[in-house]
Amino acid sequence: MTKRFETTHASRSKTAPAGLTRRQFNAGLLGAAASAPLLGGVAQAQSDPVKIGIVLDKQGNNAVISQGLMRGTTIAFEQAKNTLLGRPIEYTWLDEPNPQVGQQNMQKLISENKVSLIMGGAISSTAMAMAATAKRTKVPTILNNAAAAEVTGKDCTRYSFRVPPTVEVQVRAIAPYMAEIGKKWYSITPAYAFGQDALRCAKIVAKEQGATIVGIDEVPGDTTDFSSYILKIRAARPDVLFSSLVGNDLVNFLKQWNELGMRDRAVIAGVAVSDTSFWDAGAANTVGIYAKPWHYTDPKNNAEEKRFIEAYRAKNNAPPSEKAWMGWFAAKSVLESVEAAKSLENVAIVTALEKWSYDDNGIKVHYRSWDHQMIRPIVILRAKKSITDSHDFFDIISRYPEQQDQVEKLYGTQAEIGCNIGEL
Amino acid sequence: MIDVLLTQTINGLMLGMIYVLVAVGLSITFGMLGIINFAHGAFFALGAYIGLLFFRTFGWWAIWLAPLVVGGIGMALEKVLISKLYGREPLISLVVTFALGLLIEAILRWVFGPAGQPFATPKFLAGVIEYGPILITKYRFAVLLCSVVIVVGLWLFLTYTSYGHVLQAGSKDPEMVEMLGIDFPLVQTLVFGLGCTLAAAAGVLAAPIWAVIPSMGASAIMPAFVIVAIGGLGSFSGAVVSGLLVGVVTTLTVQFKPEAATAAMYVLMFLVLLFFPRGILGKSWERVE
Repeated sequence: MTKRFETTHASRSKTAPAGLTRRQFNAGLLGAAASAPLLGGVAQAQSDPVKIGIVLDKQGNNAVISQGLMRGTTIAFEQAKNTLLGRPIEYTWLDEPNPQVGQQNMQKLISENKVSLIMGGAISSTAMAMAATAKRTKVPTILNNAAAAEVTGKDCTRYSFRVPPTVEVQVRAIAPYMAEIGKKWYSITPAYAFGQDALRCAKIVAKEQGATIVGIDEVPGDTTDFSSYILKIRAARPDVLFSSLVGNDLVNFLKQWNELGMRDRAVIAGVAVSDTSFWDAGAANTVGIYAKPWHYTDPKNNAEEKRFIEAYRAKNNAPPSEKAWMGWFAAKSVLESVEAAKSLENVAIVTALEKWSYDDNGIKVHYRSWDHQMIRPIVILRAKKSITDSHDFFDIISRYPEQQDQVEKLYGTQAEIGCNIGEL
Repeated sequence: MIDVLLTQTINGLMLGMIYVLVAVGLSITFGMLGIINFAHGAFFALGAYIGLLFFRTFGWWAIWLAPLVVGGIGMALEKVLISKLYGREPLISLVVTFALGLLIEAILRWVFGPAGQPFATPKFLAGVIEYGPILITKYRFAVLLCSVVIVVGLWLFLTYTSYGHVLQAGSKDPEMVEMLGIDFPLVQTLVFGLGCTLAAAAGVLAAPIWAVIPSMGASAIMPAFVIVAIGGLGSFSGAVVSGLLVGVVTTLTVQFKPEAATAAMYVLMFLVLLFFPRGILGKSWERVE
């Protein structure tokens, strides 16, 4: 079934009578026909697809984020042979052009398509609206891209789970590396909730690291020309430029930073970035150190992640971005949890997701039970001095932190997070 | 502080020249055809993408062919679509060109994908020119020169050539022009193509310093409309003056109130229209008044 702005993909197991003799085949057919009236209901239930709803941008500036998330998600489905609980997976992808429509589409997936679980929320405002719907409808929802603190903070719900780390976690992770470079910082952040969150965190960690913030610029979204901001930064002569610019703003900024001859004058330290921004800006314009949830060249990627990278490359002729990984990892956690629950019942899925864990080089990756935030180390990267590859722009500095207790601490305490998750 | 103001003002004039190039094409299309071309931003993006293709295939020298190709596409679209809108309600042209813009953006997304395309400044224009507190990048200086050449050339063409006189006369009284035996539909086709060419030229010039994405036209079209409104609908010189003004106001706002930088041009438009309802150099337009 294909409608405008709605795409449903079904994949059912196909069986062929290969290897059977004609007699065996006919006998089987006869037996099946005889038992059909008795077993019809069971057989139908076994072959009914498992319906999964996806709410992600299909157009506009965020379409590239969704593209990565979807590519990763479909690889997870393919690795599960497009089956769940022995039944074919059928997923329906609806758009999220804005939070209101995203929420309506989620509701449509639940009430009309009768999906068992939902994934998506490319932008935080939609994710928050989706979390509210998850709470009301009690449909398990995995938010695979939203980074706003509220998603697992004051707006947390028992039925929503979040994969990426918050801005605060990323700022805390990169702060020691910023302090190593210098103590004179300048901050440039978007002039909306996400950027204000990043700025608030930057001020806190600057104090902790004994650094001084010599200038602050809050930039309106969709700014095309950064030359005036860069001239201000140049005049302030900082050691480090803290940035939480994302998407096209980051692309424009990097291009103009290089154009204005700034690449060796201060080190950009960025959070909440995506590989796609650097690939868009190009090798010549990529400089700085960054905090990211995952990177495809990380030597600590395990065998499963390497298989994912291989599958992604084979299918898309390019390495996966961290968005693709988040789509894959979110879907993988859901599929494994449903298999563990052996049920599509919502409480069973939520309980299984709360128990789900994954061994990552000795670190237990899991959804924290009291706020449903995925707990995982952060990857710190530095742009290569000389980039020769069309995608491989970074050297891995570290995975931070390296101990389980430090990882848990990085994501904040229950009192700091302020989540009241509620009952099932 | 004087140094800072001087630096930001010069930077604003440079930024303003890119805006001028986008806005002049929009202004000409409206002034001479009476069409509010909401697809103008899409032609800007189309210019950037075709310029990128030419650059990858032939090198830097070939990117100047991109505006000509886009001009040709614009003329073809004028023949099959835009020409049907002449003399109709301005709202219809607005809706149709808006849809055309979305269509072009969707085609770009379909052909090139939603991800951006890397497009760096040419190596021979890398680096900056410093003179006291003033800093200009070589690339922006080249953009400034190109923009000045295009704008001055266009002004000379419209003011001193007989063809320019026909265009200007046609914008006021197309029937009279036709009675003189001039093929006015052809003139209209060429004017629309010229507007698209200018949008594409701006797109080509902006591509190395802006993100090259299918929706990049949206970043150009809003300032262009604001500039046309401030300068006066259909006014060539008004578009130039207001483009530079918007550039300077934006950069000075960045210096003192960065979070309000985008809003600054809208505040400027509000204030100008409060005192000059037709814009700074605007004239009365029977078609829309």
